[in-house]
Amino acid sequence: MLGKGGKRKFDEHEDGLEGKVVSPTDGPSKVSYTLQRQTIFNISLMKLYNHRPLTEPSLQKTVLINNMLRRIQEELKQEGSLRPMFVAASQPADPLSDNFREAQPAFSHLASPPLLPADLVSTMPLESCLTPASLLEDDTFCTSPAVQHDGPTKPPPPALQPVKDSFSSALDEIEELCPAPTSAEAAAAESAAHDSKAQPSESNIHKPEGLPESRTAESKLMDPLPGNFEITASTGFLTDLTLDDILFADIDTSMYDFDPCTSATGAASKMAPVSADELLKTLAPYSSQPVTPNQPFKMDLTELDHIMEVLVGS
Amino acid sequence: FLGAGGGNDIQWCFSQVKGAVDDDVAEADIISTVEFNHSGELLATGDKGGRVVIFQQEQENKTQSHSRGEYNVYSTFQSHEPEFDYLKSLEIEEKINKIRWLPQKNAAQFLLSTNDKTIKLWKISERDKRPEGYNLKEEDGRYRDPTTVTTLRVPVFRPMDLMVEASPRRIFANAHTYHINSISINSDYETYLSADDLRINLWHLEITDRSFNIVDIKPANMEELTEVITAAEFHPNSCSTFVYSSSKGTIRLCDMRASALCDRHSKLFEEPEDPSNRSFFSEIISSISDVKFSHSGRYMMTRDYLSVKIWDLNMENRPVETYQVHEYLRSKLCSLYENDCIFDKFECCWNGSDRQVEFLSLCTPDLSNIVMTGSYNNFFRMFDRNTKRDVTLEASRENNKPRTVLKPRKVCASGKRKKDEISVDSLDFNKKILHTAWHPKENIIAVATTNNLYIFQDKMN
Repeated sequence: MLGKGGKRKFDEHEDGLEGKVVSPTDGPSKVSYTLQRQTIFNISLMKLYNHRPLTEPSLQKTVLINNMLRRIQEELKQEGSLRPMFVAASQPADPLSDNFREAQPAFSHLASPPLLPADLVSTMPLESCLTPASLLEDDTFCTSPAVQHDGPTKPPPPALQPVKDSFSSALDEIEELCPAPTSAEAAAAESAAHDSKAQPSESNIHKPEGLPESRTAESKLMDPLPGNFEITASTGFLTDLTLDDILFADIDTSMYDFDPCTSATGAASKMAPVSADELLKTLAPYSSQPVTPNQPFKMDLTELDHIMEVLVGS
Repeated sequence: FLGAGGGNDIQWCFSQVKGAVDDDVAEADIISTVEFNHSGELLATGDKGGRVVIFQQEQENKTQSHSRGEYNVYSTFQSHEPEFDYLKSLEIEEKINKIRWLPQKNAAQFLLSTNDKTIKLWKISERDKRPEGYNLKEEDGRYRDPTTVTTLRVPVFRPMDLMVEASPRRIFANAHTYHINSISINSDYETYLSADDLRINLWHLEITDRSFNIVDIKPANMEELTEVITAAEFHPNSCSTFVYSSSKGTIRLCDMRASALCDRHSKLFEEPEDPSNRSFFSEIISSISDVKFSHSGRYMMTRDYLSVKIWDLNMENRPVETYQVHEYLRSKLCSLYENDCIFDKFECCWNGSDRQVEFLSLCTPDLSNIVMTGSYNNFFRMFDRNTKRDVTLEASRENNKPRTVLKPRKVCASGKRKKDEISVDSLDFNKKILHTAWHPKENIIAVATTNNLYIFQDKMN
């Protein structure tokens, strides 16, 4: 059902992960570049959202991390959705604070590790930050030389076509398993720039716009980062989020939709189901409807109020 | 005698080390700033616990001409206390971010010390005499029965054990919303500036209830914030000129005569990025952690994560010299980002300026010819601008007997490690030297490791 399932080459990634000159146009190291970028994105989010100091966090550090995240977002925006970019599990839960932090115990070791340079380079980022889809990426894109920077309107180069087919057909199958109610929700949260991507799930995969699932994930990446510069308390983040952010953009049910697939990908996937599961567990008591994996979350405003109360109070 | 071109390189010897010996470092003992006074007789350190410790150099013993005076504790006082910001529900750290000495005007010494929010002017004065022979009081202070007083005498001053007292003379508070990173005393010795992440204020030393805002880079919408102020310093000779550096690797020179709010710089110093070195971390490693004018004020030095750059004030588009501090870390930036080491703020300093050799120095016009800065593994680096030679030394209690010359260290970046070299992966990134200071007149340097202060001198024959 999934892609070729070829083994990823550990050493390659190790080289690519450490800031050498890795441009997106290098052949085999393009995957490394993507991995590196993904890793750095995850680390940056971790730093912003998992840090709960007693004193005010350094504004300089916050600004630099924010700039890093913005730059990566920009890059992804420019690349369009030629390469579906699935966000690591940490993101859906992040802005909503306490509950979700606790739900991801595996990340705690990233928060303040003693430095073991060799270790950090080799095992941690890969194991804890890889998502199932990036494994797929690895298999299918390691031979492709070029990445489109020109935007979603340009058709993919011929070299990508045969590769994309197998990947896209795999995704097709996955889509059939999981009807895409999320596409409606995600569409609501989309900005104007992404309107063209609001396609039904059976859309032609060969269009550069890509898949609703990927778009959902991407839309999260494109969301403006909460302005967390005026940090008051741990609840400071909440005040900057709109209801839309909480309801639609940051609860990534597409990850949960991938659940049948993630189990096939081994250790690296343990992040995804954990957060989605915890999400459901936390929200289930507040939902009057039974929450099933394939249904969107529909919460009353009162129920949301209740949750907010609990979160703010904690 | 500082190496005035062609001279011998300075040979540094261990002199003293101050601080606890155990490996378990108490958080409060972490040294956060080091500064010599204008004569070099006093050496002040600030720590994370808000304390200031001042060391005084012994007067040179004529018979022991082979070593300069040792530094001993002169005064210790609690400069800042932790505070609580009730509005934001956050603690305000008592950590001393910077100490700056005022030039001595009378018997007392004055210094400015600052934490994140409040600057204080401290007076340090000596008391070595006290009046004795009161008529109505006994020596121990008890009052005498007046009927037993039969004669009168005039109390006289008698010597006593030296007592050094520190008292806060001015408190400059409530002027900074963000964290103060720099203070700099103007060459007029009447005013000084304090800089936080977004604003720079000008104070008069005598006036505590107001300050003038001279730089404000806060955007109307904080979400648009992409750059902060990282350091600021007054020009050593021109009392209307100052510079401030940013997290994007730029330095702006401003003239206070141009306008009240110096939002428009007079000069902007920025080096274009080297495309071959571009990485995700380019911006972060370009962030300037320290800026220091040379003694004449013709040059300034900036420290970013991997290098030290010397700028000629007359040339804005690139530095005149660049020195790589630890280039071998460039391939480790991702790990260093993950463990936050990439945000470490290293300081840098110039050698002292010896006025006596001023007219003898043929090479650099302003005597600022050696640069010192810290690195990891308790290493620190020196670069000689004249000879273009550099050296890596280590501040460590091992192998350090007084007057033994420090052995140069070498880090092996890759490939086969030679004997006595250290590989990059063996470096201890918890042992960082962020603060160093150079005696203004002699070849004596103070190097702060996490909680110890090392003093090195050059080898005198």
